[in-house]
Amino acid sequence: MSAPSSSVSVAASPARRVQLMSTCLCDAFFDDVARATVEVLEHLGCTVEFPGRQTCCGQPAFNAGDWPAARTVLRHAVDVFAGEAPVVIPSASCAAMLSHGAQILFENEPDAVAVKQLGTRAWELTDFIVRGLGVTSWPGRFAGRVAFHRSCHSRGSGTGDAVSALLRSVSGLEFVDFDEAEQCCGFGGTFSVAFASISTAMGTLKLDNLLAAKPDVIVSTDMSCLLHLRGLAERQGRPLRALHVAQVLRDALASSDALASSDALASSKVGR
Amino acid sequence: MKREPIDQFAAEQSDERRTSVRLGSKAGHEKRTQVLHEDYADVDLLRKLAGQIKQHTLEHLDSYLEKAEEELRARGVKVHFALDAEAACQSVLDILQARGAKRLVKTKTMVSEEIELLPFLERHGVECFETDLGEFIVQLDADRPSHIVKPILHKNRREIARTFEQKGLGTYDDTPEVITRRAREFLRRKYLEADVGLSGANFVSAESGRLVLVTNEGNSRFCLAAPRCHIAVVGIEKLVPDDRSLSLFLNLLARSATGQRLSVYTEFICGARSPDAPDGPEEMHVIFLDNGRTEVLGTEYREILRCLRCGACLNVCPVYRQASGHAYRSVYPGPVGAVLSPLLAGKRFLELADLPKASTLCGACVEVCPVDIPIPDLLVRLRNRGKQEGAPSGATPSLGGFAKLASMPTAWKAALGMGKLVNHMPRAVQPGPLRAWQGERDLPAWRGGAFRSWFRKRGKKA
Amino acid sequence: MTDARDEIFARIRAALKPLEARTTLPTFDASVAIARHAQAMPDLVAAFTQALEAVHGRAFRDPTALAAWLRTKEATLGYVDPEVLAALGPAFATELTLETSFSRARVDEYHFGITRAAGAIAESGTIILDDRSTPVRLAALAPWIHIAVVPRSRIHACIPDAISALGDDANIIWCTGPSKTADVEGILIEGVHGPGEQVALIVDG
Repeated sequence: MSAPSSSVSVAASPARRVQLMSTCLCDAFFDDVARATVEVLEHLGCTVEFPGRQTCCGQPAFNAGDWPAARTVLRHAVDVFAGEAPVVIPSASCAAMLSHGAQILFENEPDAVAVKQLGTRAWELTDFIVRGLGVTSWPGRFAGRVAFHRSCHSRGSGTGDAVSALLRSVSGLEFVDFDEAEQCCGFGGTFSVAFASISTAMGTLKLDNLLAAKPDVIVSTDMSCLLHLRGLAERQGRPLRALHVAQVLRDALASSDALASSDALASSKVGR
Repeated sequence: MKREPIDQFAAEQSDERRTSVRLGSKAGHEKRTQVLHEDYADVDLLRKLAGQIKQHTLEHLDSYLEKAEEELRARGVKVHFALDAEAACQSVLDILQARGAKRLVKTKTMVSEEIELLPFLERHGVECFETDLGEFIVQLDADRPSHIVKPILHKNRREIARTFEQKGLGTYDDTPEVITRRAREFLRRKYLEADVGLSGANFVSAESGRLVLVTNEGNSRFCLAAPRCHIAVVGIEKLVPDDRSLSLFLNLLARSATGQRLSVYTEFICGARSPDAPDGPEEMHVIFLDNGRTEVLGTEYREILRCLRCGACLNVCPVYRQASGHAYRSVYPGPVGAVLSPLLAGKRFLELADLPKASTLCGACVEVCPVDIPIPDLLVRLRNRGKQEGAPSGATPSLGGFAKLASMPTAWKAALGMGKLVNHMPRAVQPGPLRAWQGERDLPAWRGGAFRSWFRKRGKKA
Repeated sequence: MTDARDEIFARIRAALKPLEARTTLPTFDASVAIARHAQAMPDLVAAFTQALEAVHGRAFRDPTALAAWLRTKEATLGYVDPEVLAALGPAFATELTLETSFSRARVDEYHFGITRAAGAIAESGTIILDDRSTPVRLAALAPWIHIAVVPRSRIHACIPDAISALGDDANIIWCTGPSKTADVEGILIEGVHGPGEQVALIVDG
């Protein structure tokens, strides 16, 4: 689950051209997260391209064991994100798919090299900011108690440390600890419906631990985790503010009060 | 709503049982983590080193196994090989029958459960007793262990006390000290009357042929002190190259399994007792078992054979904590079992093809594995194999349609737009997965296309 | 039997044949697995004592004190390996009954067993037994109290040292504290099938 090697010297590139993979979840539900990602990257001097033919990283099919389908999706991604620019993604799990899962998926395939090339260019957003661009502190202000839910797919990558470094440097932000932080939230893709009982139990436990720390907001690098946690919390009648780390960084720049900023999933309920 | 079998089992479990398993596992994980970080600056370095040593051994297994066999034979140990469970059971029975032996005591070894040895021996008139306290209680109850290291993680003292009373071990008393004392007294008689002591082995050193047994209760020592014959049944994957590597493995194993620096008893056995010693076996047999291991060795799943059976992955696994060991319908549960059990099932792979699905691929297991087995990678490979071999999808939604959509940008964008309909649809008529999701969770409003039009409106290329 | 052996080896070779790149055996310094607290132990006897006590064992250096302790435990009948009688001293048997041959038939009558240790490990508080030093296996195992006589010169500093010194005894047992279990609700109970008290008597030599 390694991030791109430092041979991709992003900092040296004068225009800092990057490609944005918004992720299918942000495409469908969380446009503000993708927006915040663009704004954060532009603040750092990047020129952000959004290849319009993009769809998905292939992870759902890969994890479900439908590898032929996953390869189809990933080949499309290789085509869409052709080039040399870093591909920045507001999702640790999608980044891990491209840099790790894809290697397993294509190990015996003729186009393994092209897939690997994309993998070396794929960065989760905060990892890109800290290790790619060398930025280790963040300006502005974000007042509030923040519980950072480190997504499982960021294990073994630079993301956890990157988020910690950036958020702890934000003025007014109080980083709170909570119990059993290493335990998964229970989303797991199709697991969330195929193993609904266990998924719910895991999520409820995670909510118990998070809320016991009395945070003002829960922050993650992955909307999949937040979709699940926030969805459970709403159904259980427990108030929970959740933001993607991109939104926190964007809001800090705007120096808006944390409690007044938009909640990532503020929405009318779907379905009856 | 349809559920995968492991999820069904978890849902139907009593709260009491779920809590016992969850808290017991959590405690085990915390002890492991505390002692490892207290003792070592770089735990990951040790895990990776141990993993490499095991991997190397597996990749040269023929020469290491041959060396171990040579060493053992040179010391008068009788070495046997068993292709499968049936052959191993028959081997054990043959040894017993050659000695006219009718009573057997066994120390903790998962392999004996794997090959279903005790029921086989009992059918052939051999009286058998488990001597590890947890396994003894499981035997009395005709139950199955639910954890590799802590077999009765799922039981409480009241259940145990009732069993003891039913089986004539005294009137109801659920004090742990009394339970333990009763087992001590009962089993002591059995050790002293037994003809054969049966063990497994945690490690076999190829260099010296030594079998290493790691225990805490003294039952293993008794099985090797009182009876006159020792039989060890050992999976071929238990080999390590040399005695020297044992210092690394022993340090990692006990800490990973129970948070101890060393287990109470570490036995290094490479032969029967010397002729003039009054105690101990006069004859020692080692049966090396295949039972599907060579098949695994030839696949991309071979890393699972590194497993030391420490149970650390079970302790940290959030799915295991909710489901408990019995949910896995196999001798080996938890993360390691989700890989190993379907593989060792051989031709019956499809019966256990749902096990690899019982995971969010969170990777907590890899972080605690003393031999660095990449379990999530193996799980996802097994999911691929399951699909290719036609495993039923069960309660898992098919993603074929999604994948098709994801390779057709125009259709994708259209779906993003049309998805808004979901915001107004009654749940009952929504697509399956969305409906299933909302069994327990709310769904946010669909906003497909909103980001793309924002980006376009800024005048950037979209 | 030979067929099964040949078949298994054939299967192993066939399984490994396609593997092109093989993992090499890593070289490593055995000291990498020595616990932090054991990195520097100037006084091995003190370190051993501390580690043994940490696993709820007991260490004595004075046979008289040991005998007194046995009496407080009302442990009055025991087996003693005749070879250690000299080390115990003549006063040891006061108010204690010592037998120099172990009777299997009366295994549950002994309150304690005193046997020779082959060595010890300071890092972990481990007592090393083997068939040469403790041929009567049951004497060190069955009684509630086991006392191992440990010559101070045979205390190894750390586990790798003890591994190098394993030797060729067919039955070597490392005892690290009294027998125990946590099978019942995770509650620690000492004294299961083996001794409930693990004692070391450290002697010169």
